[in-house]
Amino acid sequence: MSLLIGRDLTKVYRTDGQEVHALRGVSLEVAAGDYVAITGPSGSGKSTLLQLLGGIDRPTAGAVELLGTPLETLGDGALTRLRLLRLGFVFQRFHLLPVLTARENVELPMAEAGLTRRERATRARELLAYVGLGHREGHRATQLSGGEMQRVAIARALANRPALLLADEPTGELDATTGAQVLELFDRINRDGATILVVTHDEQLAGRTQRVVRLKDGRVVEC
Amino acid sequence: MRLAWAFRQLRRHSLRTGLAVSGIAVAAALLLDMVMLSGGMESSFEHMLLSRGFQIRLAPKGTLPFDTEATLGDARELVARLRLDPAIAAVGPVLATSVYARVRDSLLTLVGYGVDPLGQGIYQVTAGRDLARGDSLGLLVSRRTAARTGWRLGDTVTLLGRLDPQAAVAAVTRRFIVRGEADWLYDSRDDLSVGAAIESIQGLGRFPAGDRASLVMVKVRDDRAVDSVARRLAAGLPRVEVHSVAQLVRQFRTRLTYFRQLSVILSTISLLVAVLLVGTILTITVNERLGEIAALRAIGVSRPHVVAQVLAEGGLLTLSGAVLGLGLGLVTARYLDAILTSFPGLPTAIRFFVAQPVALARAGMTFLLTGTMAGTYPAWLAARAPIATTLRAEAE
Repeated sequence: MSLLIGRDLTKVYRTDGQEVHALRGVSLEVAAGDYVAITGPSGSGKSTLLQLLGGIDRPTAGAVELLGTPLETLGDGALTRLRLLRLGFVFQRFHLLPVLTARENVELPMAEAGLTRRERATRARELLAYVGLGHREGHRATQLSGGEMQRVAIARALANRPALLLADEPTGELDATTGAQVLELFDRINRDGATILVVTHDEQLAGRTQRVVRLKDGRVVEC
Repeated sequence: MRLAWAFRQLRRHSLRTGLAVSGIAVAAALLLDMVMLSGGMESSFEHMLLSRGFQIRLAPKGTLPFDTEATLGDARELVARLRLDPAIAAVGPVLATSVYARVRDSLLTLVGYGVDPLGQGIYQVTAGRDLARGDSLGLLVSRRTAARTGWRLGDTVTLLGRLDPQAAVAAVTRRFIVRGEADWLYDSRDDLSVGAAIESIQGLGRFPAGDRASLVMVKVRDDRAVDSVARRLAAGLPRVEVHSVAQLVRQFRTRLTYFRQLSVILSTISLLVAVLLVGTILTITVNERLGEIAALRAIGVSRPHVVAQVLAEGGLLTLSGAVLGLGLGLVTARYLDAILTSFPGLPTAIRFFVAQPVALARAGMTFLLTGTMAGTYPAWLAARAPIATTLRAEAE
């Protein structure tokens, strides 16, 4: 059964009075347990596709269905709640809160979901240990290296046990060594049962996935 | 967690936050001082008038108490009549005039109060003893008079009256024995005051024949009956001006209209300044953190929670400024009060800046609420920022 279905997705932006066709009728299905890479040159629509599939943006045309729920039927509040409980996001620039510690960053989605302080703390510690940063839980995000920040971000994305993990250029800001560590972590997460959809221009990362979807000029050229 | 998070966000840019809090503190101090000023004089005036419990004043027709040198005639008869009224607990006639004393080579001008110890409401004995009924030799002096003259308890002293200012010759002299020291209710900081039996002071002043009084103070048994007793006295004594303390306070308030208008304007300005400071700081902060906020929204933090977080930061800024401003305002008020109360002729009991807890609490809540709500616009900005567009802009 498909976890995520994107049908004929089209996205048109208006910039300075001009129309930019970021996506032109892209369709995609992701099943439970899949590890899928979306790749392509810069400007091919990779991040736009990920944002539409993750409910961060609305398509100009087409539809997205997550766990059987059409996203276009949801208002902002319901969509936000869906992202909180069913999706996990990892960004290129980590986007951790610099004033919070590693543990507090991981706890954040759980606090939003209404877990108790004890539940949050226990799970955050587990996740940080899982990503190899149990010894850094009390450090502020600004005190972590790039690779450590990304691992904390991954732990945060797993906080509410999401059905699908979405990552946008997760190694884009990392050097080769730390990037490789993050890729190994993704492999492990997928082996442990998580479904992952990752946008990347890194062919090494794309090669580690089960399936690669290549985009060019907003269209799928290889699937 | 939200407040701790807000605190850390503000501390992230400590210099900026410090400057903003300082500005908010100044605004808060200004608001505090204006609230204290707007009702301060009126409050201290009323407190002064009621400090001895006398709620009604009788003065010569068409005058306010101690406003002119006019006096009431047949004062003893008036007082006796008032004392027969069952609604009245005490009656205190007061006669005020200038008297003089020679101290070494100088001639001091003193404020001489003639009082009836049976019912008086203008002094409080602080040392020695009060005047006894019928004690025509007894004298009470203020602490300042005692310090200036060197008079001590038990001393026999001479007061002069009806002074010819050109010849510096007094038409009347009289000896008194200092019985005690007293604080005089209506004294200004420069006054040198003495008090004696009203008949004794009568002889030292330039008054028309007959027993006189500048003022008669009346204490009503039941506070709820003050207005009705005042109306009854006014109807029954058509040649006398009857004022309840409430009426005097209302008239005083009318004279302070410009003060109050100024206070309201400056209070409004202070609130506006606080709103602008908080709003500006939060708008800058939110704009700097739009990418961070978009990421939070992407991972599932709701709009209301984003708004609440920004408002919490605004609230914390305002609260910090308000606490600092409280201290600054109280110090400033004391300093300004000292300047204003040094105005010559002003009774020392009058204060310009008076802390009235209810008014201050109300102003404080208004300030906190207004400052917190100043974060509404930046909170709206934060909550409405389009997630995808913002994240794209961050990535570029």
